Amino acid sequence: MLAKREDIILDELASIVGKDNVTAAKHIRYAYSYDLSFVKPKMPDYVVMATTVEQIQDIMRLANREKIPVIPYTAGTNIGGLCIPERGGILLDLKRMNKIIKLDVESHYAIIEPGVSHAKFAMELYKHNLRWSWPVGPPSASVFSNALCHGIGGLSGRYGLNSEEITSMEVVLPTGELVRVGSCAINPEEWHSVLPLPQLDGLFKGWLGTSGVVTKLGVRVHPLPPILKVFTVSCENMEDMYSYMRNLGNYEICDDLTAVSWWLAQVPIPYPYKPKPDNEPEWFSFATTFSWTEKEKQAREEIWEMVVEEEQKKGSSIKKTVYPEEALKARTQLPSKIVGTTKNYCKQAGGGISWPGTFTPAKYWAKVYNEWKKILIRHSLSPSVRATNYRGVHYGMLRAMIPFNKQNPEETENARQAIIECLRVDLDAGGIPYKPPVDFALEINKRAHPGYLSLLKQVKKLLDPNDIMNPGKLAI
Amino acid sequence: MEWNIPTLKELEEKIWKCTACGNCKSAYDYGPPPEFGEICPPGVAFGFEGYLASKGKIAFARGILSGELEWDEELVDAIYKCTVCAGCANQCELDHKPYIPEIIEAMRRKAVEDSVGPMPSQKKIVQSMKSYDNPYQGPRRVRTDWTRPFKKAKKPIKDINKEPAPILYFVGCTGAFNLPVRGVPVATASIFQKLGLDFGILGQNEICCGSTAMRIGEADEFKRVAEANLKTFRKLHEEKGVNTIVTSCAGCYRAIKKDYTLSSDYDKMMEGITVIHTVEFLYNLYKEGKMNFSGGLPWKVTYHDPCHTGRHLNKYKFDVDGTIAWKDAYLETDQSECLYDIPRELLKAIPGIELIEMERIKDNSYCCGGGGGVMTGYGDWAAKNASLRIEEGMNTGAEYMISICPFCHYNLNEGSKRIGSSMKLYDLVELIDQVLPETEEA
Repeated sequence: MLAKREDIILDELASIVGKDNVTAAKHIRYAYSYDLSFVKPKMPDYVVMATTVEQIQDIMRLANREKIPVIPYTAGTNIGGLCIPERGGILLDLKRMNKIIKLDVESHYAIIEPGVSHAKFAMELYKHNLRWSWPVGPPSASVFSNALCHGIGGLSGRYGLNSEEITSMEVVLPTGELVRVGSCAINPEEWHSVLPLPQLDGLFKGWLGTSGVVTKLGVRVHPLPPILKVFTVSCENMEDMYSYMRNLGNYEICDDLTAVSWWLAQVPIPYPYKPKPDNEPEWFSFATTFSWTEKEKQAREEIWEMVVEEEQKKGSSIKKTVYPEEALKARTQLPSKIVGTTKNYCKQAGGGISWPGTFTPAKYWAKVYNEWKKILIRHSLSPSVRATNYRGVHYGMLRAMIPFNKQNPEETENARQAIIECLRVDLDAGGIPYKPPVDFALEINKRAHPGYLSLLKQVKKLLDPNDIMNPGKLAI
Repeated sequence: MEWNIPTLKELEEKIWKCTACGNCKSAYDYGPPPEFGEICPPGVAFGFEGYLASKGKIAFARGILSGELEWDEELVDAIYKCTVCAGCANQCELDHKPYIPEIIEAMRRKAVEDSVGPMPSQKKIVQSMKSYDNPYQGPRRVRTDWTRPFKKAKKPIKDINKEPAPILYFVGCTGAFNLPVRGVPVATASIFQKLGLDFGILGQNEICCGSTAMRIGEADEFKRVAEANLKTFRKLHEEKGVNTIVTSCAGCYRAIKKDYTLSSDYDKMMEGITVIHTVEFLYNLYKEGKMNFSGGLPWKVTYHDPCHTGRHLNKYKFDVDGTIAWKDAYLETDQSECLYDIPRELLKAIPGIELIEMERIKDNSYCCGGGGGVMTGYGDWAAKNASLRIEEGMNTGAEYMISICPFCHYNLNEGSKRIGSSMKLYDLVELIDQVLPETEEA
């Protein structure tokens, strides 16, 4: 009797990674079938844990030959269903590749593997008084995946997205070929910069694991100044908040300049929607600054005082305020177990969290937020919105964290619909969603220039001729 | 006697509170400095998400409840490949946090109900309990073998079945039957005698506390022995004047103090009786100036926190009526009953002892790897887990690893042997016994 194809594949995978590191057992596949988001659960056909680059190359050669999808996975903590297989296949779990290969404390960069968690990285960096732009994700989340997917963090006000901190990379292409981009491509020991070479790292950043398996990443790290000062204000509307953030952002004194709506400032986010008390401000902002000396801190404070005064003279509702203590901790003590564990995000709703997460020009924040608020309240969801400047003032992140009760399919669908509605508003206003689930990708592509889609397809075809890398996620 | 032991179905709402955020996968504290460490023995050993922490176990539970996962050998194996150490629960911040060990054990109870659990090698635990009232297949007469040196020294230990005493020393099956850890009851009784305490033991009439049965999902067997024990405790209180039950076993302590409270009759049966771990009992005497040490032990030691005297004794604050947050919201953890500082203070009080801490301690202690039925179900893996903890201890430069649980002690010893380590295992009472002088009264 001929062996089934599935068994042959399983045997071949076992010959690559060892039988203990591959499975087709349903209960294990089931554990990879869902995440925090509204994305419908779907199981992979196999789960494989690789520990070496050579194993990944062999897996990719096998998958490419057999035209089997491969879904790279590190921690599964994104909220866009990015690791939920659209067409089954091999879920490639990289969590055991978790070494910090090198930390160059003199040149301020690190070389890391995919499974390095924020918690592990934080512990190591702190020993050398260094830091990373920690996102408000779980401490168990992957530094690597966050950077590759254009995640943001607590230094985004100063340095931009975490993907902009990437200095070099090593990648296994869908065909199994091993490539390098950045300085490590020219000298294998040097991982300090992607420039001045052509920025081929762009072939793998923001592609949601659809163009290759990145196996090593060089990332810039930064010194940790000793003096933290957080400037907090509140106001009654997004228009005033935008004006304040643009004004303060001009001075480039903040590591993080973020505004959160009253609903997002609650721990946890109210679910279902509840009205904000009349005597509470609608918006809070925290401007996180680090200084080396007291004088430097005072200089920052002087600028901030001046900005607040200027805004108030304009008739703005901005005023200095005390930000709720636990919420402030969650924003400044990163990586955080408060926001990071979703205690704040979905504790009250139960189980589910998704977002319309976007990069949106700051000047459109107020317009988009006001529309989002109407949509979300109509769906009995809190308008728990965050806006963050990226490296200056011209654009930034605008997103709404939407908790929902995942046990209840109607409530889950209600959240999905509300989020999609919000997304359309933002896209039409000029924003672009990031880490998008397929539902979002469809909306993006509807609006895309034909030349963009054509180029995307051509590049994808070039890198992944058999469309095996996380297929379906780009919705092209 | 009625028992409020929840089924998996009854825990379904809690199970859906998990967001799959994965924070349970590793231990982390912000600090500063930030601290990170692996916390889940099956996650470390087997790696796949299903095995890893509460996120993985919750996935199994959801699949079983929804019918998407049906029992097969591999699934049963997977739900028993967990030490139920609660290390994952310690990381969680969500409303199901307090129920995480319960959810894992409820899956096992369902496996037993559906006649697919426990694991074949664990079935002998149940059979042994039915035959001998202990999980070690030890004849009842062997239970008092450890008392022979006392008889020989003409210092017999009181049989509380026959003579009254205010203190019952509940020895536990591991100390009584497990040869490598018999030093624990010997040292405990020796200390009590040196201190002139009026105590007794149940001897051959002592029966298992039921902890192991409960951990592997054998709720009926647990209930049988727990009910018998509660009745015995009541009778001893009324007829022999027992008002304090002291145990050196972390498993027994956890069972009597926590699992037994699931009985509707617990308060009635235990009225006037205090349950206390030996170490806390001795600590109280030490603080009262009734226990003083002489001589010294010039040892470099490290201390292993047992899960059952640590995280398993967490008490949780809930918003019962919804006036603070919402109904049944988990609010905070109370660690006041966890034995973290007491053993350390006692250790440091012993002249000559240098305590060097491991990286993962107290509420983030790494499990010895033998709990939750793993030592019986997966002996090799249990020892392998223990080796990891021993290696962590060795990294401190300590020569001895001290603990307060004979079960951890045994498994860690196996782990030490497995890697040919020179690390020696001792129970804290064994150290105290060495530096506690004889008193005139004794």
